[in-house]
Amino acid sequence: MDTKTIIIIPLAIILLLVMSCNKRITAPGRVQQFTIQSMHTSAAYDIKVALPENYNGNKKYSAVYVLDGEDNFNFVAYHSKKLSDNYGKENVLVVSIGYGRNRTLDYTPTSVPQGQGGAPAFMDFISNELIPRIESDFAADTSRTGRVILGHSFGGLFGAYAFTKHNNVFGNYLLLSPSLWYDNEIVFQYEQENRQSIRDKNHLVFLGIGQLENSGRMQAPFQAFHLRLNDNYPGIKLRKNTVSQMDHVSSRNPNIINALDFYFQNK
Amino acid sequence: MKNIQIFIAILFSGTLSSSAQDSSLPAGKKATYKITVEPGIGISPMPIMDMALSNIVQVRLTRRLSAISYTSIRENNLFLRNFNYIKSTNNYTLTQKLGVGSSFYTKRNIHTLSLLAGITYDTYHETLDNPRFERVDMKVESWRPDMGIMYKLTLGGKKYFFSYRMYIPLFPYPVKTADSTGIEGNMANVSFEIGLGIRIK
Repeated sequence: MDTKTIIIIPLAIILLLVMSCNKRITAPGRVQQFTIQSMHTSAAYDIKVALPENYNGNKKYSAVYVLDGEDNFNFVAYHSKKLSDNYGKENVLVVSIGYGRNRTLDYTPTSVPQGQGGAPAFMDFISNELIPRIESDFAADTSRTGRVILGHSFGGLFGAYAFTKHNNVFGNYLLLSPSLWYDNEIVFQYEQENRQSIRDKNHLVFLGIGQLENSGRMQAPFQAFHLRLNDNYPGIKLRKNTVSQMDHVSSRNPNIINALDFYFQNK
Repeated sequence: MKNIQIFIAILFSGTLSSSAQDSSLPAGKKATYKITVEPGIGISPMPIMDMALSNIVQVRLTRRLSAISYTSIRENNLFLRNFNYIKSTNNYTLTQKLGVGSSFYTKRNIHTLSLLAGITYDTYHETLDNPRFERVDMKVESWRPDMGIMYKLTLGGKKYFFSYRMYIPLFPYPVKTADSTGIEGNMANVSFEIGLGIRIK
């Protein structure tokens, strides 16, 4: 065996081992799929629903609505089952909301260069079309406290928008690396405007971020939003989590696990 | 992930073909110098431009095998320090990595593929200073392991030569995203550098 072979083969093996560490996860149990044509956004959304093991139509299950569903659904469904089992609690319906329009349109509240401001219409789609469909076709809890929204980045921004402007829809918010910088921190203005009407409700909010999100826009608004919630909402169950050594993308999955853990702990 | 795999495949096919050419070359001439020093300047363009000053010291152990030291200081988000009332200061990264490289020779160039590992220190300070809201400061400091693949192209066979290098971090592991505007995992942290190398011994 010559020197070239001695060098290349171990290097190739190391690289292949490193790259094979990306484990594929699929949603456990039964998954039902359908498409909703929205009147509010004029777009069609692919919806998937992962049912809990031993799903019973006579029970009432909480539902986790997952933004960026194409990315996150399987991972959320897998870890919901795992964590609900760990805590000995009833699992949830995991609802994947696929992309109907561009996420920079659906998840952003106003129109600025970074997004087109379609969140009000998308919120109408969720509250007037998707949730009624889920709660009529599945054994879903119809109360605010039985509904959870989970989003990352612009999805987290949308979750913060839902918290501040449409707080009657969801009682639980799992916000991962939320883009709170958006439109000169417009969500902070919404929060100030609506604080009096929502501060005394019960909320569960998880705020997650990566320690290496150093793009000059993520950390300070994140910290400020946490302080606001902590200081002004007496009925809130709040957790802030920073994933060390991870950036905006790589912190997402660890924060999903932490967020679901926090949710099931307090469910 | 798929992009990285394609890149690795291209890299290996390139190095194998260049090594095949190498068999026709007279051995020895380009292996005269044992130590090279290669200061350089570079960018990490995604998602927001970072600029780096770096230095590579390469010690040739055999004709094909080298020990490599890589040192860099990176100024992060150099052109975006005040965005939406969020001010960013002291945003830099220091890195020291060591590794081994495998070199393949063509008539004028040397291709070196190396695996590097080391430690990186990151720090940055953000201030939300929007006059409509409360002012909030946030400072972050972090030490972390750093591992990745570096491809280096050496052009020129004399004492001074041109050096180009590309580094792909393998930590944190790549994460797939369906966001069409996003960059897949570590592809967001790829860096490109050029430098002037000196053969010193």
